[in-house]
Amino acid sequence: MTLGFYVRALVRESRGSRGRLTFFIACLAVGVAAVVSVAGLSASLRDGIRREARQLLAADLAVRGNQPIPPEALTAIAALPGARRTDVKETVTVAAAPGVNGQPGPSQLVELKVVDGFYPFYGKLDLRPARPLHELLTPGTAVVAADLLSHWKLKVGDSLQIGGQTFRVAASVLAEPDRVGISFTIGPRVFLSGAGFARTHLEDQGSRMGYRTLVRLPDGISNAALDAAAERLKQALPGGESFRVETYRQAQPSLRQNISRVEKFLGLVALLSLFVGGIGVAQSVRAWLASRMDAIAILKCLGMRPREIFPLYLGQTVLLGLAGSIVGILAGVAVQMTLPRLFPDLIPPELIRPWQPAALLRGLGLGIGVAMLFSLPPLSAVLRVPPARVLRRDAEPLPRHRWVTAATFLTLAAGVWGMAALQSGSPLLGAQFTGGVAVVTAALAAAAFLVSWTVRRLPRDAFSLRPWLRHGIAALARPGAAASGAIVALGLGVLVVLGMSLVERRITSQLEKELPSNAPSAFLVDIQPAQWPGVERLLHQAGGEGIESVPVVMARVSAIDGVTTEAMQGKDAPAGNGEEPEGREGNGRERREGNRRWALSREQRLTYMQELPKDNKIVAGALWGDPAHAEVSLEQDYANDIGARLGSTIRFNIQGVPLDLRVTSLRTVNWQTFGINFFLVVEPGVLESAPQQRLAVARLPRGGEQRVQDLLAASYPNVTFLRIREILEKVLKVLRRISLGIRFLGGFTVVAGIAILAGAVSAGSARRGREVALLKTLGMTRRGVAATFAVEYALVGLVAGAIGAVGGTVLAWGIVTRGFEMPWVFAPLTLATALAGSVLLTVLAGLAASLRALERRPIEVLRAE
Amino acid sequence: MNTPRIEMRQLTRKLPSGERELTILDHVDLAIDPGEFVAVLGPSGSGKSTLLALMAGLDRPTSGEIRIDGTPIQAMSEDGLALLRRKKIGFVFQSFQLLSNLTARENVLLPVELLGLANPFARADELLAAVGLADRGHHYPSQLSGGEQQRIALARAFAARPPILLADEPTGNLDGATGRRVLELLTELRAREGTTLVLVTHDPVVAALAGRQIHLRDGRVERDERASAAAAVTPAAEVPA
Repeated sequence: MTLGFYVRALVRESRGSRGRLTFFIACLAVGVAAVVSVAGLSASLRDGIRREARQLLAADLAVRGNQPIPPEALTAIAALPGARRTDVKETVTVAAAPGVNGQPGPSQLVELKVVDGFYPFYGKLDLRPARPLHELLTPGTAVVAADLLSHWKLKVGDSLQIGGQTFRVAASVLAEPDRVGISFTIGPRVFLSGAGFARTHLEDQGSRMGYRTLVRLPDGISNAALDAAAERLKQALPGGESFRVETYRQAQPSLRQNISRVEKFLGLVALLSLFVGGIGVAQSVRAWLASRMDAIAILKCLGMRPREIFPLYLGQTVLLGLAGSIVGILAGVAVQMTLPRLFPDLIPPELIRPWQPAALLRGLGLGIGVAMLFSLPPLSAVLRVPPARVLRRDAEPLPRHRWVTAATFLTLAAGVWGMAALQSGSPLLGAQFTGGVAVVTAALAAAAFLVSWTVRRLPRDAFSLRPWLRHGIAALARPGAAASGAIVALGLGVLVVLGMSLVERRITSQLEKELPSNAPSAFLVDIQPAQWPGVERLLHQAGGEGIESVPVVMARVSAIDGVTTEAMQGKDAPAGNGEEPEGREGNGRERREGNRRWALSREQRLTYMQELPKDNKIVAGALWGDPAHAEVSLEQDYANDIGARLGSTIRFNIQGVPLDLRVTSLRTVNWQTFGINFFLVVEPGVLESAPQQRLAVARLPRGGEQRVQDLLAASYPNVTFLRIREILEKVLKVLRRISLGIRFLGGFTVVAGIAILAGAVSAGSARRGREVALLKTLGMTRRGVAATFAVEYALVGLVAGAIGAVGGTVLAWGIVTRGFEMPWVFAPLTLATALAGSVLLTVLAGLAASLRALERRPIEVLRAE
Repeated sequence: MNTPRIEMRQLTRKLPSGERELTILDHVDLAIDPGEFVAVLGPSGSGKSTLLALMAGLDRPTSGEIRIDGTPIQAMSEDGLALLRRKKIGFVFQSFQLLSNLTARENVLLPVELLGLANPFARADELLAAVGLADRGHHYPSQLSGGEQQRIALARAFAARPPILLADEPTGNLDGATGRRVLELLTELRAREGTTLVLVTHDPVVAALAGRQIHLRDGRVERDERASAAAAVTPAAEVPA
């Protein structure tokens, strides 16, 4: 047999099956669309970031750290030929509008950006009036986010207060090149000049600062020269994690890495809908082959070998897979075109290029792969078609080869795993996903079987049911009812969508609900010790309760048991100045290493107290029991992170002064009380004379927080006031975005499930047509027949919904109680909604697919018999 | 002595029927020589079609042996049987069994293509002409009458020049005149190609065309009669008017 013959045979065989396989294509297209959307959007975002990397960095090169950039580095920058430099400082503080009639004006947390020099080197800073920033900023002016101005009803020329100083608004800012919409932000932007910021004394008073030096190199600099410049700066900086050098060519590694992580996760959710589509593919192929049995028998009779017929039909599924994938790709591109317009702050539309070749290829490959893999089990029936069927319709099928069955399912499992590994970028995660899907699918299939089995054994005449009800129930149990595939697919869809809704609702309501009655509602940081009595009085006057305050001393860990942190970090730190390799999910060891580096490099807050708060529990050692040493008590997980044990000596650097402390106790902390807690608590009598600030918490009357913030901003402008509720809102916003993404993709799974049901109904339309004809002949009205069908579909929807609801609840329960360690609350209303939705959707889809059968006149069908 | 084209020894086929077994063929011994035209007769359920299916390797015997050109086929794999049919056996069925998604010409073409013969299209056209349907090649089976479909089936059966042709009541679904025309063609083509023909029928008139009549009853050969040599060589003249 020649290739030419195969191609001809393939084309001929595809003739008989066009209309019939609409559902094959539909099922596949839904999943492919989901995969292409996820892959395309994230590729667009990453490409966009790469494309606009210079704008996003606003420079060719940047040095950043949480301490001032050391003079050695600045000298090194000055030594780079043709380099220009801008110094940027960032911090969060409170800004206030001018007061009226002696009353303080409204106040708000803002993200302060202090710029000395030309900014930005690349990209557009969108200002009104449109003048360069360095011309607008003087020691007495500020450039303020447009939305903050409109919120306070201020305009350019008015003034506002920052750190107790008055600044005139010189311009409003609409967009910054290096502030991306997808990032987490705390408040609106305010620009100050270095001299203006110096007037506020916020830096001297210990506010947490981020430091950045932007470097512009001469135009047309080669990549090698850029990397060499970065390397020279790295050499000039002290080792460890305090500073990092970033070039635009690295293009925001951490942002891109975050996108990749989200992509992998959502990619698996999308893959699930493709697999559900695969179930539909298998059903379509089974129905299609059932109608090709005679043709297959004839081919065998004419001397075509089973191994020659099999590829012929596999080839058909590849062609159909191609068609379904192309339809899916088009739908995926359409999703990418619409979604950013609907959610512009979620996905920046200007970054999206929907025709991402890699994403389209991925959709094509996975689509055809799923079409082939999921067709294998039904296609193996080709081997069993008895050629004697040409003589006797009822000829028994050829014996099943055990190895064929085994090979089919091994191939299927391996293929599913391979795809999951591709989508998640991790063979292990792929295997876990495959295992999970297999278990859930098996559970759903078993449940579907159990329901059908039970219904079959129900004594149907024991109840005096209306005929359409009895008939509908009987239809579910009918041998060969195509319901089980639809139940599994729909159940999976309901499981994903409901599971995620439950998780989201649970976490949202946990975070939104009244905080524990004794929990504080506000944190106050950066209070100077001398300010505390006044601040405390203010809180009391505002009706504050549970006011507590502790001293805070900022320090860095410089050595543990004689090993310097630089040595500790140098030992394990990967090359590339801390840039994590892209495209690899951090494994446990890497993540621990990341925690450790973070814990070692960041500035730590130390406090001192005689007795620990009630939510602390000593788990090792004893509190302040060693008269020979200055003691520190460590939170257990933190101790693990930095690698300290009971008895270790930790050397701290407190603003240049070294201090050795011995670890004499380890604690656990219940963080959910929102009380003041520290990783590091020092014995009293050691830190009293060190430079320090105070941290305070208070429980303020509901609705009274804004007033307190306004008063504080007027009298103690350096104090940052953080509302717990506001912070929780920010967290919730992020959470809702993630949940929205998952539910959106989960929706594809439901749509695939519906397509499968419609396909199953339509595949049986000939049988249904006969059924309708018979029922009509027996005197049932069309409405009665429709009711019978509706009962059958409603039962399918009910069973699928119920199984999915149980599965979704288990999934959500696991995530909430294990992942988030929150108590579980049953949500009957959500479950009921899911059930009702599932029933409604299946009835509508089922009836829509049976319309043709319902319209047929009895005589047409009976005559054709 | 020449090797028989088809040879059966103690051929038995039983089928499970509910609790017990039904014996369809019971220790049948038969030998059919190359070029013979054999009619198999018998009432319904006598095992005619099963005999045909076993000869073609479409079905497998419960016991006994079948040889095609001296080679036993009962133990061959499905693939081996398919190759055997491809090379040696042509079929004509009562219900035509044309592939509905193929045109008439493509149906005829298929066995030639499978065998990989040179100029398959020329051969298909030649056969379409021989059955008088040269101008209907582009039609699908559903667009042809029953007689035309069966003539296409004849063309397909002879297309690959198989040494053996098995026909299962080829005129059973056709009216008298059409049936006669199909039979005429069948015997004509057989004579031209020198094909061994085994034809199952329960019509004595059709059977009378054959040089040998095998009567089956209850799965056994009841009678095996040979007509005079003349009847077998000049079949066309003998077709009942």
